[in-house]
Amino acid sequence: MVSEENTTTEYYHDRVVTTLVMCSIAWAVAAMAVGVYVAAELVWPSLDFGQPWLSFGRLRPLHTNGIVFGFGVSALMGTAFYSVQRTCHIPLFLPKLAWFTAIAWQLGVLLGGLSLLAGMNAGKEYAELEWPFDIAIAVVWVCFAIVFFGTIARRRIKPIYVSNWFYGGLIIVIAMLHIGNSLAIPVTLFKSYTLFAGAQDAILQWWYGHNAVGFLLTGGFLGMMYYFLPKQAERPIWSYRLSIVAFWAFTYSYIWAGPHHLHFNAIPDWVQSLGMVMSLILLAPSWATMINGIMTVSSAWEKLRTDPALKFIVLSLAFYGLATFEGPMMAIKSVNIVSHFTDWTIGHVHSGALGWNALITFGTFYFLVPRLVGKELHSVKLANIHFWLALAGTMLYVLAMWGAGVSQGLLWLSLDEIGELRYSFRDIMASMPPYYLLRLFAGLIFLGGTVLMAFNLFKTIAGAKTVQVRPPAVHGAGASL
Amino acid sequence: MLIWLFFRPNQAFEVLSNTSPTANAVFFKLVIWLAAIPPVLAYIGGSKFGWRLGAAEPLYLAQDVLLKISIAYFAALLFGFVSTAIIAKWMASTYGARLSLGIHYAVVTIVAAPLVIGSIIHLYPDMFINVLVLVPALIWSMFLLYKGLPIVLRISPERGMLMASSMIGYLLVAFVCLLGVMVVLWGRGFGPAVGI
Repeated sequence: MVSEENTTTEYYHDRVVTTLVMCSIAWAVAAMAVGVYVAAELVWPSLDFGQPWLSFGRLRPLHTNGIVFGFGVSALMGTAFYSVQRTCHIPLFLPKLAWFTAIAWQLGVLLGGLSLLAGMNAGKEYAELEWPFDIAIAVVWVCFAIVFFGTIARRRIKPIYVSNWFYGGLIIVIAMLHIGNSLAIPVTLFKSYTLFAGAQDAILQWWYGHNAVGFLLTGGFLGMMYYFLPKQAERPIWSYRLSIVAFWAFTYSYIWAGPHHLHFNAIPDWVQSLGMVMSLILLAPSWATMINGIMTVSSAWEKLRTDPALKFIVLSLAFYGLATFEGPMMAIKSVNIVSHFTDWTIGHVHSGALGWNALITFGTFYFLVPRLVGKELHSVKLANIHFWLALAGTMLYVLAMWGAGVSQGLLWLSLDEIGELRYSFRDIMASMPPYYLLRLFAGLIFLGGTVLMAFNLFKTIAGAKTVQVRPPAVHGAGASL
Repeated sequence: MLIWLFFRPNQAFEVLSNTSPTANAVFFKLVIWLAAIPPVLAYIGGSKFGWRLGAAEPLYLAQDVLLKISIAYFAALLFGFVSTAIIAKWMASTYGARLSLGIHYAVVTIVAAPLVIGSIIHLYPDMFINVLVLVPALIWSMFLLYKGLPIVLRISPERGMLMASSMIGYLLVAFVCLLGVMVVLWGRGFGPAVGI
């Protein structure tokens, strides 16, 4: 067997991909289970058993960090490493650094998660980890960039395929956001205060927060879609030109949309309006990509007969369409005045996170894992059951939160005969448990599907080794580098 | 037909696949009446019992406001029916399905039927109870969409799956659009008194 660490070999470095995929699946199960637990706490608050580490305030960031950085980023790293080799026809640049990136990232998420349970929290949403972790994340991320861009720089074919533009955008923008938003003055080993004050801090935080959604949960996963969807459909992307135009339009417009998280807050009104307008413009490149994906798959329908993975990707595009329409709509100030600070926002996030990110990742894993280990998927039937569980869980979740959110929006603002607020916050929240129970049920269904996938893929991988694949020989006009 | 849909959906789809109804016939004989059922029930429920959104006392709206909302609801449902059928016809050429608008009206009517039946719960306008009843109705609707669409439109189940998923994408967007329009109207004084 040829060693993967030998950089002179002409085999792709896929063992690191298998490891990252397995880690991603493990994080998915763990972090979704934490999500289900916090959903249960919202129905039965005594489930924290008086333990600070079991309180909602500590488990909620554990859930979000576990999903975004554990499940999401591990999947993105794995698929980026897999696809960049195949689109550049060359093995990974510095494979040992790729291994370091993969393992250090897992350790960072694990230790970061434990620090959140211990109550260390920088107080910024989706950037809760304290400064030592922020530095470690920045270092690992730079290693990721070196491996990825090093591979592209040494590519054997001239064009840079569109998936690499999206993955590259993810790497550059997340580095910029993370370093910018994490600038802080350390006070002790595990406590720091942000460098920015008041409104500037809020604007910077949501510049980070919204673009983490944009370039990681949207752009990064679009990179995944642009490589794996044409592969599964066995045909080129419907319009390559549209994909490139959409990439630049997306990159230019997304970066301005953050202030829509701060509507009617103490930031300048024109900044809010700018955030709203740029959010609306964002609909065009988002939907261009959706149409590109749907049209690519629509002519490959016969693949659905044999491929259980493709339907996950088809459905993920439908939810991508929903989430990227709902987001701009909720950024309109006259909608946001009702929807802000309600569970509608939570429903919106999950229509994206469950319906788009999780489904496209599941579809990719069902495609990728059998190819990585050179075996058939353990059970197509289980994958089909998983599909229906994922669809039912997502729909129920979104509907429960729409019901809860619209009720809350109306009730917070309801006036009585003399113009006073009709209901107290406490009364409104006391009426929410039925919706939260429905959401808990939805979460359990979705988690059940994920556990089935973990079992199915574990059985597929068990006892098998990652197969070794050689890059193809490159000839012709494209091979000018 | 409705009873068939519950007990023998496949048989109902087969019968429909062999017919070619005209758009006008389906619209005036079925769609317009089915679309009127939920708003009428919501009007009766809202005026007799008031809307319970969870908090202590029910929310009563003035008769004229309630009437306006019910008419708007009817208009929204009609728009939903018509636009979904037109979108389905537009998609049909991509998926090689039947192109007559009438058959697409019929498909949308079938898919909407469980929701129309479920809307009987509007007579008791408690928000959560409505969600609880309409969610299973929606699951039934989605089952009918995935199962029935390929049979009625005479395409393979795989292409039907793709087209049904695209339709779900459109329907989700249309629904969330309706939510958005609704809250904008609240903000402009149409509906319950809110402090905006």
